[in-house]
Amino acid sequence: MSDRMVRIIQILADSFLTLLEAGIKFTVPLTILSFIIGVAIAFTVAIVRVLEIKPLEGIVRFYVWIIRGTPLLVQLFIIFYGLPSIGVTLDALLSAVIGFSLSVGAYSSEIIRAAILSVPKGQWEAAHALGMSKVQALRHVILPQAIKVAIPPLSNSFISLVKDTSLAAAITVTEMFQVAQQITARTYEPLWLYTEAALIYLTFCSGLGVLQSRMEARFGRHLAR
Amino acid sequence: MIRLENVYKNFGTLEVLKDINLTVEKGETVCVIGPSGSGKSTLLRSLNHLETITSGRILIDNELIYDIKNGKAVLRSTQNRISEVCSEMGMVFQQFNLFPHMTVLENIMLAPRVVKREAVQQTREYAMHLLDKVGLKDKWDVHPSKLSGGQQQRVAIARALANRPKIMLFDEPTSALDPELVSEVLEVMSSLAKEGMTMLVVTHEMGFAKEVANRVIFMDNGEIIEENTPENLFNKPEKDRTKAFLSKII
Repeated sequence: MSDRMVRIIQILADSFLTLLEAGIKFTVPLTILSFIIGVAIAFTVAIVRVLEIKPLEGIVRFYVWIIRGTPLLVQLFIIFYGLPSIGVTLDALLSAVIGFSLSVGAYSSEIIRAAILSVPKGQWEAAHALGMSKVQALRHVILPQAIKVAIPPLSNSFISLVKDTSLAAAITVTEMFQVAQQITARTYEPLWLYTEAALIYLTFCSGLGVLQSRMEARFGRHLAR
Repeated sequence: MIRLENVYKNFGTLEVLKDINLTVEKGETVCVIGPSGSGKSTLLRSLNHLETITSGRILIDNELIYDIKNGKAVLRSTQNRISEVCSEMGMVFQQFNLFPHMTVLENIMLAPRVVKREAVQQTREYAMHLLDKVGLKDKWDVHPSKLSGGQQQRVAIARALANRPKIMLFDEPTSALDPELVSEVLEVMSSLAKEGMTMLVVTHEMGFAKEVANRVIFMDNGEIIEENTPENLFNKPEKDRTKAFLSKII
């Protein structure tokens, strides 16, 4: 075996745990926290729009429009590098969580809204005819059915988010991609190191894909036609 | 029990209900027949606010619920009041509209628990009693997707009865059923009528109308053309449009 191959294997072996550590310390928590907050925002937004709650509806549509119309990287830069000039200084991790949450919130709100709209109108009518208010109908009849429809696209968002967290590197969060960059700077083996990082991302995402299948099966049990 | 006075309904320029005047007395079973597009379903659905009328008055149990002139409410019933009114009426839909993510028993128990805040034990007992009444006691734990159309519709009837309504509204309850499943549903409806429930039924089942209805109403093009007892309407129709319709179906 050549010296170079030995050196590469050495680098990969040494870096593996460091990369994994960064993944577990930053990538995973960042993804999970941003997703939970983002979906909470998304639910609120979707319900405001479906129920057409008047003063809030305009605000919420504006929010979705702005976030969907601007690049995530630019949003992160505005929060981390831009806000300090008007007196709001947030640390890198917090900026990342805020940026990712707002992004997930906007995109996922459309997913949830579409899922709610996909529930047949007859379900609303039956709930109404039984004397339920719209909120009661949503809670007991509509949302449980909408969840099943929302799982594949929401899982997709989650899996995308895992990869989007690599953007946090640009605002100095030492998550996995940032660490890969640092090790590359020391060792000059970009192909191997970035591929190694990519494979770790791939493993995370594949695991999430399996989880998605199981959730689809569980929620879709009684809705098969 | 139900009174519609000068009810009009437009969808834009399309007139779907024209000057409807109709009364249903307590304990009566009234069937509404007529061709598609005659406004029968719209009439039914305007009683529980699934459709909003453009003008006219609707009284339920002698209380004025909807009073609209030119699209503006003279009497604005609040959302709460409308929900209350709905819970005093039961509606059975052509497409059943059972809640697929719940068992049969849960379907029936939902409204009394959530809307009337009844206690669980009491609700469950009454729900099982209703299931027994429609002949499906052993299906209490099953999901609607596992039932036949006729069974689903019978569950839907039980669900509508769970709120102990004063009035039952049926919107073409058997139109989506395979022919051999129709009679089991009509039987349940007949026994309900015999027990004295006030019922307004939109249907194509002339046999049911003849046997069970106190009165039959023929609608065409948004208007009530003729109204009479089943014997008179089916055997001695007065208006030409009634005769034309009946000749096509009997």
